[in-house]
Amino acid sequence: MRLDLSILLPHLGFLAQGALLTAQACVLALAGSVIMGAFVAIARTSSSARLQRIAFTYVDIFRNVPFIVQLFFFYYGLPEIGIYIDAFTTGVIALSIAGGAYASDVIRAGILAIDQGIIEAAEVSGLSRRVMFTRIVLPIALRTSVRPLGSVLINMILTSSILSTITLNELTGSAQIVVSQTYRPFEVYVVLLVVYAALTYLVSLAIALLHRRLNRDMMEAVA
Amino acid sequence: MRFTDFTAFDLVLLAQGLSVNVALFLGTSLVGLVIGISWAILRFYRVPVLSEAITFVSELLKNSPVLVQLFLVFFGLPGLLHIRVTPVTAAAITLSANTAAFVYVIAVSAIESIGRDQLEAARVFGLSRWQVLRHVVAPQAAAFAVGPLIALLVNQLQVTSLISVIGVVDLTKIGNILNMRTLKPFIVWTAVGLLYYAAAKLVAWFGSRFEKRLRAHSAWRGL
Repeated sequence: MRLDLSILLPHLGFLAQGALLTAQACVLALAGSVIMGAFVAIARTSSSARLQRIAFTYVDIFRNVPFIVQLFFFYYGLPEIGIYIDAFTTGVIALSIAGGAYASDVIRAGILAIDQGIIEAAEVSGLSRRVMFTRIVLPIALRTSVRPLGSVLINMILTSSILSTITLNELTGSAQIVVSQTYRPFEVYVVLLVVYAALTYLVSLAIALLHRRLNRDMMEAVA
Repeated sequence: MRFTDFTAFDLVLLAQGLSVNVALFLGTSLVGLVIGISWAILRFYRVPVLSEAITFVSELLKNSPVLVQLFLVFFGLPGLLHIRVTPVTAAAITLSANTAAFVYVIAVSAIESIGRDQLEAARVFGLSRWQVLRHVVAPQAAAFAVGPLIALLVNQLQVTSLISVIGVVDLTKIGNILNMRTLKPFIVWTAVGLLYYAAAKLVAWFGSRFEKRLRAHSAWRGL
């Protein structure tokens, strides 16, 4: 029984490349899921019962089916209907759709928390529904939901490790390759575990800072 | 010769796969609950060093991907300790520890939700620390924690799908096998997804019934 971390030194560059791919996938998927989540949140808070039901069904399905099943559905299913895209794009799309279900819940809560008086004031000022939404409702809702959106991002970083199962060499995928070259699984995976934990910890610190900065004028209300 | 059609036996295979998931889910949830709650009790008694160590381990388990934890136990432990670890054992160890980490956090916040004045009052009446825990803290903490715990269990059920990656023949693995044989990804993964969905809904339903019973004492009974 020996633990020798120095054998990892020659492979650090390779692992860093994997980490970069993870970061790229997560940033793209975060943007995708916030956009997706915003639209779904609009549908869920709309006055149309049908839109509400459709949006609820989407959220319900993608929150209650394991991500790996969704991923395989897209990865093996899309070529079947003639869409040939690489594993990275498939992964980002799957992450965005799954993340969108969680993000929509967060944004919906942000919308529902908006003071009714603000919306009435906008109506009285004669703003159109679209302007009201993009200029008043969404900025307030997004600003107050920075912190919960951050936990969606952290979850996404952890979930992105599953992308290694569709041949994508992100952080976990490249760690598997390093293991097959060094035959030192324990060292590699312990380091990987700590790296993921440190990464998500740093992200959560950054989000707390951003949240405080964005909400600085109403600190006493949210603190 | 290739059988590319679906047969009635495929349904049996799917049911077998699901039963593997459900069995592992029930077993590891139970073990995780017991471990997580005992960790929280250790913290309640303010055991020095041990409390800090537990908090650190649970943070590490919460903030790293389950897939990496599975790899660490399945590939890493045999390499380090020269023991045999079967896929099912590795899955059971990892999922139990992971569930325990989340249960610990929920249990700690549930215990902390009870006002200090109650504990002090109980101590003044001459109750021992254990009696305070058993008769004052536990009933209220259980009612507080049951909601988050059910959400956690629904999530852990989905996490069991990851054990297919280390070779446990669970529902996802069966889906993979059927997908490779029939080359009909949409049908296969929809069926697999539906089964997971139904299982998650069942857990949520049992959970909400249990929650109603736990909270019956504080429910509005009408005039």
